[in-house]
Amino acid sequence: MKQTSLSYHIIRNVLLFCLALFFFTFLVNYYFTRNTIKETTQVNAVLLADKTVSRIEQELLTVQTIPQNLVWMLESANLPKDSISNFLKRIVQNNPNIYGTTIAFEPYYFIQEGRYYAPYAYRDGDTIKTMKLGSESYEYFFMDWYQIPGMLQKPYWTEPYFDEGGGNIVMSTYSVPFYRYEKGKRLLAGVVTVDISLEWLTKIIQSVKIFDTGYAFLLSANGVIVSHPNREYIMNETVFTIARERADDHLVEIGRGMVTGKSNFTFVDLPTGGNYSMYYTSLLSNKWSLGVIYPNREMYAPLKHITILLFAIIIGGLFLLSAFIIQIVNRITAPLKQFALSAKTIASGNFNTQLPGIKTHDEMLELHNSFEFMQKSLADYVVQIQQTTSAKEKIESELRIAREIQMSMIPHIFPAFPNIPQIDLFAILQPAKEVGGDLYDFFFIDDTRLCFVIGDVSGKGVPASLFMAVTRTLLRSVADKKDTPADIITKLNKSLSFNNESCMFVTFFLGIIDINTGEVEYSNAGHNPFILIQSGNNSHYRKMGSGMVLGAFEDIKYINERLTLNHNDAIFMYTDGVTEAMNHQQHLYGEKRLLELIQRSGSMAIPELVDETLNDLSGFVNGNEQSDDITILALRFH
Amino acid sequence: MGQPNKIRFAPQWTAQAQFAGYYVALEKGYYTEAGIDVEIIYPNAGKSVLNLLEAGEADIVSLFLTTGIKSKCNGVDLVNIGQISQHPATMIVARKSDSIFHLSDLNHEKIAVWKSGFDELPRWLIAKNNLDVEWVPVLSSVNLFLAGGVKAMAVMWYNEYNQILNSGVDESELSCFFLSDFGLDIPEDGLYCLDHTRKEKGELIAKFLQATLRGWEYARSNQDYTVDLVIGKMKQAHISANRTHQKWMLEKTLELIKLGTKKVSPGELCKDDYLITADLLYQQGFISVKIPYEDFFQPVKNPHP
Repeated sequence: MKQTSLSYHIIRNVLLFCLALFFFTFLVNYYFTRNTIKETTQVNAVLLADKTVSRIEQELLTVQTIPQNLVWMLESANLPKDSISNFLKRIVQNNPNIYGTTIAFEPYYFIQEGRYYAPYAYRDGDTIKTMKLGSESYEYFFMDWYQIPGMLQKPYWTEPYFDEGGGNIVMSTYSVPFYRYEKGKRLLAGVVTVDISLEWLTKIIQSVKIFDTGYAFLLSANGVIVSHPNREYIMNETVFTIARERADDHLVEIGRGMVTGKSNFTFVDLPTGGNYSMYYTSLLSNKWSLGVIYPNREMYAPLKHITILLFAIIIGGLFLLSAFIIQIVNRITAPLKQFALSAKTIASGNFNTQLPGIKTHDEMLELHNSFEFMQKSLADYVVQIQQTTSAKEKIESELRIAREIQMSMIPHIFPAFPNIPQIDLFAILQPAKEVGGDLYDFFFIDDTRLCFVIGDVSGKGVPASLFMAVTRTLLRSVADKKDTPADIITKLNKSLSFNNESCMFVTFFLGIIDINTGEVEYSNAGHNPFILIQSGNNSHYRKMGSGMVLGAFEDIKYINERLTLNHNDAIFMYTDGVTEAMNHQQHLYGEKRLLELIQRSGSMAIPELVDETLNDLSGFVNGNEQSDDITILALRFH
Repeated sequence: MGQPNKIRFAPQWTAQAQFAGYYVALEKGYYTEAGIDVEIIYPNAGKSVLNLLEAGEADIVSLFLTTGIKSKCNGVDLVNIGQISQHPATMIVARKSDSIFHLSDLNHEKIAVWKSGFDELPRWLIAKNNLDVEWVPVLSSVNLFLAGGVKAMAVMWYNEYNQILNSGVDESELSCFFLSDFGLDIPEDGLYCLDHTRKEKGELIAKFLQATLRGWEYARSNQDYTVDLVIGKMKQAHISANRTHQKWMLEKTLELIKLGTKKVSPGELCKDDYLITADLLYQQGFISVKIPYEDFFQPVKNPHP
């Protein structure tokens, strides 16, 4: 699972960044492309519309020249009346896009012809016929094609109409008025017309394709729909009837723009739904107008397609990216997993596990080499430790034996003299380590005199214990019944100082008590003064000479001091392991506290007193490590 | 002629919403319920509706009141058997951008008017206001006005006026002079038949009127249905049609059929209206004799109410 989370973090961050980047790029591209599409399409629509207009205009202009030429001919009197019909016939014949043509004269222009004179040539199937227009039921003077150009005094394209043949062909007529001059006044003489079918025009409009459902439509000068993909509209609706039915004011505006000959780019909403863009422009020759409509949806369709494609690529790419990252990360971290396993195996004690091989020369190889080094170092270290531990164990077992030996050196059976009621004696020795440098001893030097000793070798541990053994052995060997304490100590000192290459010394106190009289003679060699316990709360440290420690200088003379014990008086001896015992706060137990205890409990029996002292001491020390050997020797005289 | 319960009816123009009531009555079976077999025929370029009536090809026709009076005075033995429209739709329209805001602004201008008649009222209106205009007869389209060839045109509110709107002109750009604004609230479309037809087919005629009025009432409450019906008829006759125009025409025609403040019942010609109209025509010289109201308006009382 750890590997997935590493992949996961990398993937997540990379993906998020990539997503943001792609998204931003995509947006920029999208808007830019969208705009480009819109503008390009607009340009195309304009070109398409203009091209279509040109094609139509070209045709219309060609048609227009014929009546214009006829007018010129008429006004310059170059067209004799009798040849008019034939002439018109030839015009229709030679111009396949002309359906019919007439020259219609004002009433009674030719008196002999009567009120109406309008020869008319027209196409009838494959033949071309002529006839005369005008009758009581066909008063052409009031028809749009005659009346309007006559009154406006300029050429006129009629609104589109259906042909009379019922063929449902949309037609339009172009009329040009011509004049005569009478007495300097210009008077209307008549109107020349050509009728053209708008089939070709409808075809042109219908052929306009823009995208899939875009189309073009044509309006007459009054907004009548002349051409439109919806055949129902043609000749039935005007752009305004449609706009009014839809209540679409914007369409009304567009219509007005169109019929007034403007060109513009705009939008339109169709009832079929969706937004449409529209460009409209007008035909100059007949004031008709053309509109090109195309759906924005289709215009933007390629954009939609590419958007979907881009998204697919992006998402596909991101998936691939994730897969790649997972693969790569896994490949890199696979050895890490094995390293983790190896670490576990090594930790369990198997230092020879095979580490995963690294082929690349990179950080993984560094890791591998470090791991290998660590593995070897650990193995070596463990061997070392094992050796040290077994050596240590050996020493410890020897030390235990040494302790037993040492403890057996000092008298350790209590009560010591059960048969001698004058003396109550108790001692304890607690070395700080397995063996220590403290010592005590007591023995009868003769029948009535008991020698008691307490001492503290400098240092602790094995060296001190060896020196202690030497001191104790020497003591027993040099002590003679004729000796005073000072004699014994002097002799002891001489022996100890001789060949004392280790420069060790020992504080020493020796006293001899006459068990009958209670007289005590003692000598001190640098040891702590004992506490004299006297009845009546009178315990105190006995003042005495300090003396030089044993083992330092060979020729030291020691002196004796005396004291007489009363009944129940006691001597309490200790080493500085008691007074200098430290608690966790680094406070010393101290002489004062010891004295206070002795003063409090001085009346106790000696073993209980020593016990009490040890308890109080241990209570004070409160578990702190014992730094020095503790020795107490106490005796009471009865 | 033919079956005893057959009535041939001819409206004054081609199919359009102006005659919606007749189509509705036919389609909904009101005529059949009344026991009449009605056939609708139309005038054409060669035969006007008056021709049809005189020739006996139509039993009942729809005519303007002015036309009816004129014809009767000229010797056609017709009678009014039911007055459908009660108010005039005749009006004169002009562009504000030509600086025409009041009727007086039309002085010395060219006004287009229908050549085929129904021009009595516009002419009367101008004459009454002592204006001097040049009347330009046109056949039927509004193109001369749209092209700017005339400054004003006499139009029907329900028809040509809307054609102008449908060509892109906004109502706010037009100055409108309604006949009723000038104190002339006289009816127009009415039903006429020859006197002898009335004698022969009296009961049928009364039923025809009743069924026709029923048709108009239904049209009033079901205008969408009616417009669809009318457009269907127009398409059958290959006439250009769109909803916008027919809807307008139907709405305005229905307006004109409403009685308003006139103290008449539906189908009745108000005597005052008749007298005013006859007087107007007489003053203009269109008629030389005034026929009594009772001779003119002769509805057939329905024996079965």
